[in-house]
Amino acid sequence: MNGHVRETDLALYASGDVSLWQRGAIHLHVRQCERCREVVSEFRADARALRDASGLPEGVDWVSLSAEMTANIRVGLEAGECVAPRKLRKAISASIPDRWRPVALASAVAAMLTMMLAGAWWLNVPAQDTQALNRAMHSIWQGRSAMSDERGAVIEASSEGIELRKNGGSLGVSQDAARLMTVSVSTQGSASAHYVDQDTGQVTITSVYAQ
Amino acid sequence: MRNNFVIFVLAAAAAMAQTPGRKIDFPVDSPVTAVSSDWSETKATPRGGAYVLDVHAVLSLRNSSQKRIRGVMLAVQAQEVTPGGKGSVSVPSLDVPPGEAFPLRIDLPLLCPLGAGGPMVEVKLDGVLFDDLTFYGSDRLNSRRRMTVWELEARRDRKYFKTLLETAGGEALQKEVLSSIARQADRPSTGVQMVQGRSTNADAEREVQFAFLHMPDSPVDPTSGSARIAGNEARSPHINIQNRSERGVKHLEMGWIVKDQQGREFLAASIPSDVNLAPGKSSLVTQDTALRFSDRTQVEGMTGFVSSAEYSDGSYWIPTRGELNDPKLRGVVAPSPEEQRLLQIYRKKGLGGLIEELKKF
Repeated sequence: MNGHVRETDLALYASGDVSLWQRGAIHLHVRQCERCREVVSEFRADARALRDASGLPEGVDWVSLSAEMTANIRVGLEAGECVAPRKLRKAISASIPDRWRPVALASAVAAMLTMMLAGAWWLNVPAQDTQALNRAMHSIWQGRSAMSDERGAVIEASSEGIELRKNGGSLGVSQDAARLMTVSVSTQGSASAHYVDQDTGQVTITSVYAQ
Repeated sequence: MRNNFVIFVLAAAAAMAQTPGRKIDFPVDSPVTAVSSDWSETKATPRGGAYVLDVHAVLSLRNSSQKRIRGVMLAVQAQEVTPGGKGSVSVPSLDVPPGEAFPLRIDLPLLCPLGAGGPMVEVKLDGVLFDDLTFYGSDRLNSRRRMTVWELEARRDRKYFKTLLETAGGEALQKEVLSSIARQADRPSTGVQMVQGRSTNADAEREVQFAFLHMPDSPVDPTSGSARIAGNEARSPHINIQNRSERGVKHLEMGWIVKDQQGREFLAASIPSDVNLAPGKSSLVTQDTALRFSDRTQVEGMTGFVSSAEYSDGSYWIPTRGELNDPKLRGVVAPSPEEQRLLQIYRKKGLGGLIEELKKF
């Protein structure tokens, strides 16, 4: 723009033939630039003079003249398209310096792979892992400890029985026909549940081992 | 149309669940033999990259030895090296004469990787304990030690009840049995998770010292110890012990009692340890383990006590009934398997049934 708006744009601005965005931009410039404001005023004055001119010269066939002018304009536009330098769509990559393009490409590929893996994980993740993640996020949200579930084996003993968990999978031990009496955990990596047969009193001790 | 879909889904599920192969693999000279087995409720279902085997079986085993059998432990495995691939089923407090059969029920879920051979459950004999405390078996799961301790506890508890019956009569026995049943009902329990190795917890960590219950007759005395506590998690216990007996001690088992913020105490875990401790010597017992309790539980204190010890000569020490009557232990330590069996006989058959059972020994 070289500090001023081009004359053609000012002419279109004066006649109200620019886009809304261009109009706003030119308007801001014209308010501050006396020279451009004068050019716009001249264009507007010429337009008023033309509108005030009385009629057309005698013997002019306006219909044929209008058709010829339209045809010439089209020919001119098409010729201009042919000789103008090829206009390329401005790609995002065009704004990236050449030396950074390999890095940008690698980043894009990594992002795509991450998205694919995240999608695959989300579709296949065991329910327990999702629940553990939810618990951890919930804990963080509440400002409490965010305890991470270990990826190793976890042995759990409760009044329900004993359970071995690993990688989201779980194995629980239960004996429906017997009464669960006690559960115990050994720090060497096992848990035991004592069941008593209600009829005979025979005690059966079931144990699971982490390794 | 919907019915057809449901039938299709059920048929597909039935096709996926399959009956696993099974194998009862007892040594040729085994003192027990399998008379019959019912595996009809056992099934294998593929889940992810593994089979989940729901093992439900009833075995009938015969005592083919010349001695009375007091306990049996079977190793049940689908894949020994896979976590969840190995379990065991033990029956203590038996009294099976030579030639007689006895039932053994197996209820275990196991995991094994998907493989060309298909799912397979293997039952092996880990050990058999006889009435003279001799042992037969591979002992890969430490069945000798566990069954011997159970048998010694059984003898102690039967003797206690019989003495009570003989010295104070049936009414006193009944009172003691009812008191034991009430203690079981009142015994506090909380869910506990055992995590091997380093566990992560963002709470501030602090060192908490153990308090110890000293058993007068115990060959080993814990002198000091502590564990790292962070919120509802306790990890890496380390306890200094001293052998105050005149014999070497090769194995020790300690009980770990935890007190929460409300003052409730419960038995959290047992700490077994191979120590090989000469008379008069001291040693440090450590475990790279974390115990995690429910979110509501805050660990405020810990107590340790020696629950059993094995001497270097293969004999054992267990606490007496008097030592277990310590007010701190009475409420938290579970009754022995034999006491559980006797209490169930009382529930089922009353005082007469219990007295009759005690007279068998």
